[in-house]
This record gives sequence, C-alpha cells and structure tokens, in this order.
Amino acid sequence: MSTFSGLNAATTALWAQRRALDVTGQNISNVNTAGYSRQRADMQAIGGSAVPAFYSTSSGIGGGVNANDVIRIRDIFLEGRGHTEHANNTRLTEEAGALAQVETAFREPGEYGIQSLLADMWDGWGDVHNAPDTGAARAQVIQQMDTLVGGLHFASASLDAQWNQTRENLTVLAKDVNAAARTVADLNQAIQRATQLGVPANDLADQRDLLVMGLADQVGGTVRQGKDGMVDVVVGGMTLVAGTSASQLAVSGTVDSSGTGGDPVRLVTAVGGYTVGAGGTAGGQLTAMNAIFPKYQGELNTLAGGLATAMNALHAEGFDKLGNAGGAIFDSADGTPVTAANIRLAVTDPDRIAASRIAGGPNTDNSNADRIAQLRALTDGPDADYRKLVVTLGVEAAVANRTLSIQSVITTQVDAARESVAGVNIDEEMTNMLSFQHAYSAAARLVTSIDEMLDQLINRTGRVGL
Amino acid sequence: MRITQRAVTLTSLQGLNRNLEALGKLQNQLTSGRLINKPSDSPTGTNKAMQTRAEQAAVAQQGRNVTDAKSWLDQGSTSLLQMLDMTQRIRDLTVQGLNTGAASPESQKALATEIASLREGLLNMANTRVAGRPVFGGVTAGDKAYDPTGAYVGTTVTPGSTVGTVTRRVSDSELLRVDLTGPEAFGSGADSLFSVVGRIANDLENSPASLDDDLAALDVAMKTMQGAVADIGARGARLERVEEVQIERTLTLKAQLGAVESIDLPLTIMNLSMQETGYQAALAATAKVISPTLLDFLR
Repeated sequence: MSTFSGLNAATTALWAQRRALDVTGQNISNVNTAGYSRQRADMQAIGGSAVPAFYSTSSGIGGGVNANDVIRIRDIFLEGRGHTEHANNTRLTEEAGALAQVETAFREPGEYGIQSLLADMWDGWGDVHNAPDTGAARAQVIQQMDTLVGGLHFASASLDAQWNQTRENLTVLAKDVNAAARTVADLNQAIQRATQLGVPANDLADQRDLLVMGLADQVGGTVRQGKDGMVDVVVGGMTLVAGTSASQLAVSGTVDSSGTGGDPVRLVTAVGGYTVGAGGTAGGQLTAMNAIFPKYQGELNTLAGGLATAMNALHAEGFDKLGNAGGAIFDSADGTPVTAANIRLAVTDPDRIAASRIAGGPNTDNSNADRIAQLRALTDGPDADYRKLVVTLGVEAAVANRTLSIQSVITTQVDAARESVAGVNIDEEMTNMLSFQHAYSAAARLVTSIDEMLDQLINRTGRVGL
Repeated sequence: MRITQRAVTLTSLQGLNRNLEALGKLQNQLTSGRLINKPSDSPTGTNKAMQTRAEQAAVAQQGRNVTDAKSWLDQGSTSLLQMLDMTQRIRDLTVQGLNTGAASPESQKALATEIASLREGLLNMANTRVAGRPVFGGVTAGDKAYDPTGAYVGTTVTPGSTVGTVTRRVSDSELLRVDLTGPEAFGSGADSLFSVVGRIANDLENSPASLDDDLAALDVAMKTMQGAVADIGARGARLERVEEVQIERTLTLKAQLGAVESIDLPLTIMNLSMQETGYQAALAATAKVISPTLLDFLR
C-alpha cells in the first residue's frame, strides 16, 4: 500500500462530491423543465486490488470513490403505462369533442332547433285547416315548410363541415407525426453514438422521450426498448420508428363524408398503404369520421326521408284548391331517395296545397290539412323520431363525457406517478446538496490531516534530542 | 413513497380544475337560467323538455283554433236567432192574412209585399260570411249559400257523415264541427224556409186557401231552425269546456317545462356558494402545500 494512497482517495472523494454537486445543480435548474428526468451521480467505491501478486499486496482498503456515471432515473414501466393512458385520454377527448359538435349542430333543447321548426310547420297546417280558402294561410305553410327544409339542410351541412374539418385535421396530424418520427429516429442515432462512446446522453434521451409521449398522444404509439439506449415506436402493431429509421404515415380513404361506408378514412403507411390501427387523437378522429358523424348524418337522413314519406302519402290523398289531386309535397332534386341534404319542397304554388279531401272541383274542405297537422301527435311520427335521435345523442355524449372525466383522472394520476419517480424534489436536492457539501469538507479535512501526518513523518521524525 | 413538487402541483391543479369546472357549470346554469343547455346535460330531461315544447305548440295552435271556432259558432247562432225573429214576424203576418174576411185585397197585397221583403232579408242573413266564407254554405268555394231565387248553392252533408263539414281541431282527440249547412238549418227543397216564405207571399195574393198548409210548413221550418240554434248552442257550450281545459293545460305544461328545464334558483345559488367555499378551501390548501420547501428552513 502506497504512502500516498490516502491522499489519492481523498482526491477522488473531492472530485466525486463536486461532480455530485454539479448534478444537483443541473437537477435544480431543471425542476420545471417538461420531460426532464432527474439525474444522479452514480458513486462506486474503488476497491483495493483483490489479486495479490509478487511485491504487490493489498490492505483491502479501497482507493476512494468513482463517480464517472451520471444516470437518469426513470421507470420504463410507468412510462409505458403513461403512453397507454395518454393515448386513451386524447382519443376520448376527440370523441367527446365530436359528439359535442353534433350536439351544437342540432341546437336542442331550445327554440331554434329542428323541433321548433317542425312545430311551426304543424301550426302552419293547423292554420290551413282553419282557413283553407285564404291564400295567406296556404302561403305561410309553404314558408314554414321551406324553413324546415332549410333547417334540415343546415344541420346536415354543419355535420358535413365538421367531418371535412376533422379529415383536414387528421391530414395535418399525419404530417406532424411523420416529422416527430423522423426526429425520434435522429435522436436515436445520436444516443446510439453517445452510448457507444460511453458519454452520458441523458438529455438527448429526455428530449426523445418527450417526443415519444407526443406520438402516444397523437397516434397511440407505444415503445419497445432497443439496444444502445435506442427505442422503437410501435403504432397499432406497425413499427413507426425502428432504431435509426422512421417510416411515414398517410391518410387514405374517402374525401366525402357520405363515402365512409365503403371506403372508410384510414391511417396507412406511406409505403405499401397498410392500414395502421392508430389510437390517440388520430384514433378518436377516425372514430368521429367513420362512426359518429355518419351515424347522426344517417339518422338525420332517416328523419327527412320519414317526414317526406309520411307527408307525401297524406298529401297525395288530398285535393288542392282547384280540386286537383295533391301530389308529393317533398322530393329530392335528382329523384334519389330523400335525405336531409337533398330534401326539397315540391309544391311552391299555394293553391297546390291539398287541404281538401273532397274530389271533383274547387271546395273549401279542410280535413286533409288536419290529417297532416295531426302527424305531430303520432308516437312514431317525425317529431317522435327526432326526439329519439336527440335523446340517443344526449346519452352517447353524456357517456363519452363521463368516460373522459374518469380517464383524465387516471391520466393525471399516472402522470403524477411518473413525475414522482422522474421529477425533481427540491427538498431532496437541498438535502443532497448539504450532504455533498459536508462530504466535500470532510474530504478536504482528510487531505489536511494526511498532510499533517506526512509532515510529522518527514519533518519531525528522527529529531530526538535536537 | 417519493413525491415531488411537480407531482403535487399536477394533482392539485387537477383538483382545482374540477372545482372550477363545477363552479363554471353552476354559473352557466345561473346566467342562462336553464338546467339543460345541451342534450348530454340530461338526456331524459331533454326528451321531456322537447315533448313538453311540442305539446305547448300543439295547445297554442288549438287555442287559435278555438278562437276561430268561436267566431264561426257565434256568427251562426246570431244569424239564426235574428232569422228566427224575422220568421216569427212572417208567421204573424201570415196569421193576419188568414183572416180573409176582414182584410181587403189591398191589405193582403201589402202583407205579401212585406213578407217578400222579409224573405230578401232572410236570404241576406243566410248568406252571412265569416272571413269571406258563407256560414251556411258548407265547404263551397263560392261566396254564397243561397242564390237570389232562394235556391241552395252550397255543398251538402250526408246525415251522419263528417265529409264536407267545416271543423276545427280543438283538442288532440276532438274535431269540433263549427258550421251548419243551409239544408240542415233551414230545410231543403220545397220545405226549405225560403220556398215556404216565397209560397206564402204568393198565396196571400193569389190563393189564400192554401195559407193553412203554408203555415204548417212554416212551423216545420221554424222547428228545424230552432233545432239548429240548439245544436250550435250545445257546441258552443262544449267549446267553452274545451277552452277551460286548454287554459289549464297551458299552465300545467308551462310548469312542467319549468320543472325540467329551468333552474331551481335558491338551490342553485346554495350549490354555487357551497362550491365556492370548496374552491376557496382548495385554493388555500394548494397555496399552503406548494409554497414551502426546505429552503425556508435552511440557513
């Protein structure tokens, strides 16, 4: 054992404590940095030589401390859980948002929705029933029906507009995801090089993990740990980032909201066009476009079709002011089945309103107007159908909102748990700082004391009697 | 368990947000005055509210129908009563004319002239119109029930049938007939009021012997008219009952809609202040938890 080995050990201690203090400084600086994982100087005792050799024996006391490694503290299982919960949260947010948009398209309950337009129209028919001979009553019912047609068009168009907007958002999101995937791959490469060189790449890894969490939010990406500190990002079974290479996503499928039945909107790989089972925001948007909007668009079409069928049947049985048989009152512009988008008023001449049920020349009978007005009270009539639609929507939206609020609690809890592991605790850093400071002082004192010891040996030994 | 300041911040923030969200919801309810602002606030409540609104609209329309029905019935009964008075006068004149021994041909002629002019008046009354339509004309597209000769030109109704009647929808289940056709009110053909009165005017001058038969026929016509007045009166009474029910229903529906859709003001305000207290407590707790660190105690 060398005479100066004690000094050497004290030096390593001084160096190690200073390094640990530096790391503490880094931690405190980044206490509020998003995605930062706390770091720790990994101290290891330097053991004495365990292999005895000729002239070289060890006392078994070590040679100080080694603090070369600075490690990042992070729980990859919690991170994985975070990816899943984040993806669920964004997906549910998107779905609840889509349902809220549908709710605004219907504007119920209130005085401006389709319900009140229907009521106004039935009132119009009631007025025709009261005064089938006056042009005013007949003209106003045509106006009321026209307003109802406008209301149906508006609701249908606003669902359509929301669909188009969502598809556009998905396209933008795909571009965003592609850019993020590219960056993750680049960072993977940098991390690989650093790891191979033995240089800590903690901050690069933090940056990358933040991006990966973003990918989890956007498309529901999950992570597979690779070698040399790299990670693979997997989306719905398809590898988006494999080590240092990233593949690209694209949006495919119909560009028209009516085409989701045969050609649903999909997220596919840019090369090969394989469908990717995306989660996260993209998953929610896909559900909105392929299920939610088409469902309510379809319900609205059924409502419009049912209204046209019921009223046309009754109207055709009546006779107009001149005694001619009444034809259809609603039709579609191109002769296709009536939908909320193409419904059109077939009768524009007030005299053509078939209020009478007595054939054979002009008369002022009003019984057909009453039959049409009484459609309002039918338990399976347009009003009841529309109420059913709105209630279904309300239930679905309420369930989505409740699920979302539960999910957001879970997500926050997981985030807090991740933060508890990887985040910086100022109290802890303070305590660490004190202990490193004390350790540094102690090591310095050790140097002094060895110095004094050597001084004793060198300067004062053999001077008995001098 | 290890806990960090950021973890505490995250969870406190979530709690604060939930508090604020509840506060916002209550505030929204208070300012809008409505419990249900979108279907998902309460799907069943939405259904009830929409149903009640639909019923309200129907009842309001029925209210208008009742008003309209009233004007028809009133006009019909007024005309009929006036015509009954005139017919009574004709009957008196006819009885006067029957005393053939006491009257000179000139006075008979004067009686005949008066009766003929009364007949004109009757015809005019029989053509009374409501909003442009003859009350006794059925569903005719023309504007007269009787032509100047006293022939009926309106449409007829087969007894027991509702085809060709003028009706008003006064409740969900009831269509009330508001008219009477000429033949129903005044008899038809040779027995109709106008034919009989025309005959009397003629017979006074030319064939006083037939006046006995004419008087009998006039009594039959008057009986028909009295029956018609009673019929219209009965319908008017029914209409009044319907109207009362309607007024009551309007109020009930309004109360129902209020109960479903509007907020209970004291309850909401109470909830709001409770929520506010909760929010302030949460804020105070957060402020206490977040601010101190070890730094406050080290020197």
